[in-house]
Amino acid sequence: MNGEMVERSDLGREFWAHGRAVSCPIYDMHGHMGPYHSIYFPRGDTAEMIGTMDEAGVRLLVFSHHAALNSPDLANRPSVEAVRRFPERLRAYCVVNPNYPEQLARDLEAFEALFPDVFIGFKFLSDYHQIALTDARYRPAWAWAEARGLPVLAHTWGGSRYDGEEVVREVAERYPNVKLLLGHSCHGAWDAAVQLARDFSNIYLELTAVFDDRGVIEKFVGEAGSERMLFGTDLPWFDPHHAIGVLLNADITDEDRHNICHRNAEKLLAPIVPALTGGV
Amino acid sequence: MEFFDCNAFFGLPARRPVAPVATAEHLLAEMDRAGVDRALVWHIAQHDVAPQTGNAMLAEAIAGHERLLGCWTVLPNQGHEFPPPAAWFDQMKAAHVVALRAFPDSHRFLLNEVSMGSLLIEIVERRIPLFLSVKRGIAWQAIYDLLASFPTLTCVICDHGCWGEDRMFRPLLERYPNVHVDTAQYLLDGGIESLVGDYGGGRLLFGSGFPESYFGGMMMALKHAQIPKEARVAVAYGNLERLIEEAQL
Repeated sequence: MNGEMVERSDLGREFWAHGRAVSCPIYDMHGHMGPYHSIYFPRGDTAEMIGTMDEAGVRLLVFSHHAALNSPDLANRPSVEAVRRFPERLRAYCVVNPNYPEQLARDLEAFEALFPDVFIGFKFLSDYHQIALTDARYRPAWAWAEARGLPVLAHTWGGSRYDGEEVVREVAERYPNVKLLLGHSCHGAWDAAVQLARDFSNIYLELTAVFDDRGVIEKFVGEAGSERMLFGTDLPWFDPHHAIGVLLNADITDEDRHNICHRNAEKLLAPIVPALTGGV
Repeated sequence: MEFFDCNAFFGLPARRPVAPVATAEHLLAEMDRAGVDRALVWHIAQHDVAPQTGNAMLAEAIAGHERLLGCWTVLPNQGHEFPPPAAWFDQMKAAHVVALRAFPDSHRFLLNEVSMGSLLIEIVERRIPLFLSVKRGIAWQAIYDLLASFPTLTCVICDHGCWGEDRMFRPLLERYPNVHVDTAQYLLDGGIESLVGDYGGGRLLFGSGFPESYFGGMMMALKHAQIPKEARVAVAYGNLERLIEEAQL
């Protein structure tokens, strides 16, 4: 039987029937790429990921290659190469690993040269790099993003000493011009994530790994507003169809779904890559 | 498209979740909203309170609801906390309970031949599906050890996690013919296609993980997985139907 999530929503009917919706393109604001040590990826390479994006109607993926996150030897080079193969479908975050501050100057130089054709912002992975977002070694990158009003996607996890809600609050106060995307929305600290979105107009709640926690989508929409939420999947980790199904099942409106899937990202990216956002 | 969910519960957990579902009636309403036809369900009190308490609560709650079948929790019985197996299986049948769950870590026992040999032999012979939740109550090593002792056990490894457990469960699928996995938290992009491609459509069951997860997530993933129609039907409901039909209560 078809449930109400399909029958009572225009988007529900379209997504359910076709797996994607012409009227609702998706901007996935949190992706990765390539093999990773602790998981098997059936679709981890660039072309396979583009195939997944086609199936689910994902217009653009903004990502950081696993090698960029975990191999200072390779750094951002694999991300750059992937974007150059698919410039209409991909943009990258420039990963900064503050364990190697001597590389930061080179990262920023590369960023300047490749913005916005490759990079549209920065990615910080503090929990994994075990250096807090507030650490001095991040400051040059924060300052760079602050001066230009750029997006920073920060992995955030509830209670973390590196990127938990208290740490996020400190950097949000310090860098009001940065478009601060809370990757995983301070996962588990849902009330704190809502409060951060309420307190700071430059904070966005990014939904990777949030989609598997029932009730949180409705909580965020109700308490922070769907205008502050961004679609994300960690692709190639999580199937975007799962995320779409959750958005259809959640007790929210089609207007909320449009905001989450594309409108908010379009507004965020329009000043940076207008050609990729339909001129929004 | 028909869905028969193998992995859903209701009841109020001791620690309040974001969106609790207290009753079978609320569960059924949410199934209607998502489009889930039937479900094999358990009550959270089976884990949080005690199997005896929760099993009774489940039986009472699903009575009269034809779309719901039950899954009881099992313990070692050296303390005579349960009736003898034959009588207990009769009680299961009368209560529309067709499968079992075990939470050995949470309930502080070892799910092995020493603790539960005679009961496990009966479960194997009767082909009663045993659900093992990696998220709640059993570790991979214990599952490996259990299957080494009972290689024909019919089991469903569920809630195996969203961070990628293929390297854990694929060896079990290869070695043991009656091992299955469910889709709850199997968010891996291309995972359904890869698993069906390697092991056929008979080893994966639609499970939502409701109410901690949304029904709609894995429904949508399965609806649009690039797999043959026969496999999609098997995963969505056919495999669970088969396991229940094969069980001898």
